[in-house]
Amino acid sequence: MALSKDELKAALLAKATKAPKPQLYIKDFYECDPDAKPREIKNIANEMVREGTLMFWSSGSTTMYALPSRIKNEETREAAEDNK
Amino acid sequence: MPKHDTPLLDELEKGPWPSFVTDLKRQAATKPECWDILGQVELSYKDRITHWKHGGIVGVFGYGGGIVGRYSDVPKEFPGVAHFHTVRVNQPSGLYYSTENLRGICNLWQKYGSGMTNMHGSTGDMVLLGTTTPNLEPLFYELTHDLKQDLGGSGSNLRTPSCCLGKSRCEWACYDTQALCHFLTNKYQDELHRPAFPYKFKFKMSGCPNDCVAAQARSDFAVIGNWRDDIRIDQAAVKAYVKGDYPSNGGAHAGRDWGKFDIQKEVIALCPTGCMWMEGDVLKIDNSNCTHCMHCINVMPRALRPGKEQGATICVGAKAPILDGAQFATMIIPFMKVDAENEYEEVVEQIEKIWDWWMEVGKNRERVGETIQRVGLPTFLKVMEVEPIPQHVREPRSNPYVFWESDEVEGGFERDIREFRKRHAQ
Repeated sequence: MALSKDELKAALLAKATKAPKPQLYIKDFYECDPDAKPREIKNIANEMVREGTLMFWSSGSTTMYALPSRIKNEETREAAEDNK
Repeated sequence: MPKHDTPLLDELEKGPWPSFVTDLKRQAATKPECWDILGQVELSYKDRITHWKHGGIVGVFGYGGGIVGRYSDVPKEFPGVAHFHTVRVNQPSGLYYSTENLRGICNLWQKYGSGMTNMHGSTGDMVLLGTTTPNLEPLFYELTHDLKQDLGGSGSNLRTPSCCLGKSRCEWACYDTQALCHFLTNKYQDELHRPAFPYKFKFKMSGCPNDCVAAQARSDFAVIGNWRDDIRIDQAAVKAYVKGDYPSNGGAHAGRDWGKFDIQKEVIALCPTGCMWMEGDVLKIDNSNCTHCMHCINVMPRALRPGKEQGATICVGAKAPILDGAQFATMIIPFMKVDAENEYEEVVEQIEKIWDWWMEVGKNRERVGETIQRVGLPTFLKVMEVEPIPQHVREPRSNPYVFWESDEVEGGFERDIREFRKRHAQ
C-alpha cells in the first residue's frame, strides 16, 4: 500500500462522492491506490461500512458499495413519492 | 375467501403433481399476504413480465450478504408483498438437521416472515421467502442466538459452501467432505458475509467422482474426492455378482426383472476407456487408463472399491448460463491430499491463489470460469503454478500446452527478419 490507511479511506470516500453512479463495484476503488492489493482495499472498504461511512447495496447477485447520502432506500423513496 | 381471482394460476392445480398454488392458498389461511403473492404472480402471468424489483440496501448490521431485497412494483395493488425480502440461511453440512431444528426454523419464519420456504436454494441454503425490513434484525438475532445458525452468502460474496454427506454415510467418500465444508465456512467468514470479489464464488465438496452435489457443474471451486492408486477388487465378490448371488447396483434397479447379470454387457462394455477385461473368471483393470468414472464401482459395490491412497481432484470455473452458456469446471489439479491435520493447507493455498489473481484480473460480474476463458487456460495454469498435462488439452492444436519462453530458446526470440528472409524467401 502506497497510501496510509487514513489516506486510503479518504481516497475511497472521495471516489464514492464523485463517481457518476452512486453504486460502485469493489474494483472501482482499486484505482485509489494502484499499489495496494485488492484484498487490502476490500478490507478498508468493509471497515468503512462498519463505521457507517459507506454502505452495501445489493442486487442479490452482486454487492456494491455506496455513500449512504447518495442512496435512498426503497421505503424512503416510496414514502417520498406518496407525499408528492 | 380468495382476495384475488387467479384463473391462470388455478390451472397449475389441475395436474397430478404438487402445486405451489395449492400450498400458497393453504398458507394464506394464516398468512393473508400470501393472497397478494398469488395476485401478483397472476398479474405477471397476464402481463408476461415480473413485477418483482430486486436489490436495495436491506441487510443486517455488519453483513453484506444473506438478505436479498425484494420489492413489488405494484405495491398499491398488492400491499402484503410491497416488501418481500428473501433470507438465505446457511444449511448444515450434508443437510443433516433434526426435526427440532426444522420446527425452530419454521416457527421463526412464521413469526417474522411469510412462512414460505424454499428447501433448498440451488446453492444449498435454506431459503426463507418474504419478510419486511423491520423484521430482519430480530429474526437474525433469534436465528443466531436461539437456533445457532447463520445467514448464508449472496451478492459478490463467497456463497454458502455445500457438500455431500461424505464419510458419515457413504463408503466411497475419499475425504471427509463435511469436515472440509465446516472448516472453510469458518475460515472464510469475512468472505462469506461481506463482498470481496468481482462476482459470486462457490465452493462445493463431493466425496467421490459420483459428485452427488454436482460440484463440477455448479461451483467455481470443486473439491471432488478421488484416489490415485488401483481400484480395490474382491475377486470372490466379482464371481458372486456373475453368479447372481448379489444384486447389481446395490439392488437399486430391483423393481423389475432385468434378466441375469451380464458383467460383459453391463460393466466391461460400458467402461469409457475400455480398461477392463475378464481373464477366465478373474476381472482385470488397467488402472493407468481408468478415468475414475465410478460406473463399475456403482454396479458392483461389494466387489470394487476406490483405492486406498485417497484425496481430491480440484476443478475450477463451473457456472450457470447467465453469460455465454453454462460451463463445466476444468480439471486443474488431478490429485491432492485433503488433510485435516495440517488445516487443509494444500486446499487453502489453491483457493487463495485463485482469489488473489481473480480479484485483480476479473472484470466486474465475471465468474472465475469466464476469466479463465478470457485469458486462456495456459495463463491460468501459470497462475496456479501447475505444470500442464495432456488432460488439460481439450483438443489438439487449439489449446497448446507446450510453451517456450524466450530464455529457453537459444538466441531468444529476437532475430533479424531480413536475414531470415534471405534464407527463407517467400
